[in-house]
Amino acid sequence: MTVLRTAAAVLAVLLAAACTAPTPPRIQAGTAGATACTPPHGPREPETATTIDVIEQAYFCILGNYYSGATLDARSLLTVGFLALTQEINRDGRDVPDAIMPALTGDRKADWAAFETAYRKITDQVPDLRDKLAVVTLEAIVAALGDNHANWTHDVKRPLDYYDGDGYGLGLEANVDVSQADGDTPRVALAPLFVTTVLGGAAQAAGLLPGDVIESINGTPPFFDGKATPAIAALYPEYPKVRPVELRLLRQATGRRWTVTLTPGPYERDLAALQVVRSKLLDDDVAYVRMTGFAPDSANRVLKAITRLRTGRTLSGVVLDLRGNSGGSPAEATRLLSAFVHGKVTAYQCAVDGKCSTSRTDDTVQLLHLPLVVLVDQGCASACEHTSAAVKDLRIGQLVGTRTAGVISGPARSYLLANNTLLTFPDRHHLGPGREVIDRIGVPPDHYVPLTPKDAAAGRDPALAKALTLLHK
Amino acid sequence: MRQILAVTAGLAVLAASACSAPAPPRSDAPPVTPAGPATLPAPTGPHPVGTIALYLKDISRPDPWNLDADARELKVTLWYPTEQRDGQHAPYMTPKESELLLKGTGIASAPYDTLSKTRTNAILNAEPAGKKLPLVVVSPGFTKPMSTLTSLAEDLASRGYVVAGIDHTYESYATTFPDGRVAECLACDSDTDPGFGTGTVQGRVADVSFVLDQLPSKWDDSSLIDRSRIAMAGQSLGGATALAAMVKEPRIRAGIDMDGTTYARIPKSGFSRPFLFLGSPQHVPGGRDTSWERDWKLLTGWKRWLVLSGAEHQSFTDGPLMAGPLGITPAYGVLPAARAAELTRSYVAAFLDQHLKSKRQALLDKPSSRYPEVTFCPATCGPS
Repeated sequence: MTVLRTAAAVLAVLLAAACTAPTPPRIQAGTAGATACTPPHGPREPETATTIDVIEQAYFCILGNYYSGATLDARSLLTVGFLALTQEINRDGRDVPDAIMPALTGDRKADWAAFETAYRKITDQVPDLRDKLAVVTLEAIVAALGDNHANWTHDVKRPLDYYDGDGYGLGLEANVDVSQADGDTPRVALAPLFVTTVLGGAAQAAGLLPGDVIESINGTPPFFDGKATPAIAALYPEYPKVRPVELRLLRQATGRRWTVTLTPGPYERDLAALQVVRSKLLDDDVAYVRMTGFAPDSANRVLKAITRLRTGRTLSGVVLDLRGNSGGSPAEATRLLSAFVHGKVTAYQCAVDGKCSTSRTDDTVQLLHLPLVVLVDQGCASACEHTSAAVKDLRIGQLVGTRTAGVISGPARSYLLANNTLLTFPDRHHLGPGREVIDRIGVPPDHYVPLTPKDAAAGRDPALAKALTLLHK
Repeated sequence: MRQILAVTAGLAVLAASACSAPAPPRSDAPPVTPAGPATLPAPTGPHPVGTIALYLKDISRPDPWNLDADARELKVTLWYPTEQRDGQHAPYMTPKESELLLKGTGIASAPYDTLSKTRTNAILNAEPAGKKLPLVVVSPGFTKPMSTLTSLAEDLASRGYVVAGIDHTYESYATTFPDGRVAECLACDSDTDPGFGTGTVQGRVADVSFVLDQLPSKWDDSSLIDRSRIAMAGQSLGGATALAAMVKEPRIRAGIDMDGTTYARIPKSGFSRPFLFLGSPQHVPGGRDTSWERDWKLLTGWKRWLVLSGAEHQSFTDGPLMAGPLGITPAYGVLPAARAAELTRSYVAAFLDQHLKSKRQALLDKPSSRYPEVTFCPATCGPS
């Protein structure tokens, strides 16, 4: 989440100063209905402390607007919130004799009233913990939805000496990515753990290279009995974490084994590599386009790049590199797909009662009539999986790489809470063009081509090589 | 990964609201009938003003936005003192530029050529006058043509400065070249990319250095310029460019950032040339943008951080002067257009007079009863 948080912060700052015109929001505003939460409007004011009133607002916001808000048993949310509250008190080395869960009846309003009464009584006895208790309670309620597009954004901080484009952390990426390490995606992590990219910062200063195998993290092996251990998460510290991380490394080519200590911090990144859309011509006849997110205008940027590379030559096809693409606007996904197929449904968004709306291709987009290979991996999430599933199901092209993230519950909507924090969740769930569930399951590649440490060390890209082979057949 | 969509949704909202102009339509306000074309306020200095456009081509680098252009083309507009009082007033912008700017900004409340009818004060291609004149490089905000800072440029020229305003090609909705080509905003496609501000400012710094290199050979009257006295000012991304260009470019002695979030890395050892931050209340310590606080600690020379109450992001440009002709009702409590222009002109000129002309300016030492809108930060201002 580090990267995403940083991205949001970066953009907020950039837009505050660099932009000029109001851009129409790409994502439709949610219907607030009878509940007291509305989509954010205008610049966000500074956050204030989370209180029981904010938790109440979030509770009714979820019940009124969330995908299954109308049908879910609200008691389950309150119970999980209450558990988190008591755990936090215990974590501080204390307890409160009255911290007993009130009896709930299933009446949402009456149950809230009972919860609030108990909550106030308890927190009054530990006033020094009040703010923290409110935070953990609301975090737990949102987490209880078990929805990878439900989130409560609060207390986002960045280093003061941060510059637009900077990263934060150790300055490396490994074959087990941050969402696998955090458990945000159910994708299986495979041994060995190795560096795939050196981005800058401490990793670069210590001379790490792609392909370096990480044998231990702070003395703990990354895999135990073939299963990934929680130790891997230490590779991706978020601000303000600054505790140094000790890595034991093996460089297979030389057999060298050594230990480095990397201190997390902000680091400068290659600006060219941060561009959301980049393109180049490969083998004189393949348009290669890498897209790291479905940002506003990104589909048009991809199509423009292909058109440009096509000018004055005959292309054999397009390689669309969506590895590590963290998603974005479903409208951009549909627009991009519309250059490859017309008259089709690219996805369904279904309400809890089974009624679905459709994302149809925009048949005003000119068809490219070019063979397509899409590179995917476990970092391809959300709108990226919307795209990948449609490419596969609608037979637009072939997928090469590894299974996608499975992080696509449904298009998220945002609601502003009274303390200027943002609550985000979907009101519909996403299904693929065959009405299949993509969330958690992910999209399997047509050609399974994982990366090995040897490939990484040699700068080889076997998935791209496979894609070129397919296009040149 | 949970936040992916949240981030995007948040972005759309931010994009819609982070800018101060144009004012959103208000349902409870009476509709405003567009007034006649705007007339820029008269320059306040003793000299009449001339202006001329130069077109430069940097063949040492490809254009950063147009991948099919292997050179960087730039339009530079000069404003300078003249003795010539009569002649054709320079056009503010072409009807096509007006149309592209209004469409890009999403303003449809007036005919699209409205801005091209704006009356300027500078005489087109007038004979320059004076000697050993200090030079001020000026850079506009992202998506804005240089002409949106004409009121400030004309005023500085009337006070005895040569102003070189740069249109950063493809970073503005419209830049017209002599062969009639109109370069539009190619950079607008990617303005939500991480690192966009940093990268764009780096490109602009190269533009500034190139303009400084070329002025002597490309302007017949460049001998009027005292090349030991060069400053830079800009609004928004142009202000960020002023700071970045100074850090990189020893020829620039002093700089002004008007309400721009900054992107350049100031050396940790500090930076001692004079710098002025002039901003709207968004730019107070503890405000939404933290870049000025970050930089303030690294500025070790003469520095001021002034915030104008009631100012918006566009208060430092000609934008507010155009509200009437465009039929836009200014938001309640915002600085009136004429006052915003007066404040901007006064403080920018005071800074330049002190640092390029060595004339001490009391205005910069402490709050002034003439300009009660101005607060001296960070000492006496807090989050709004």
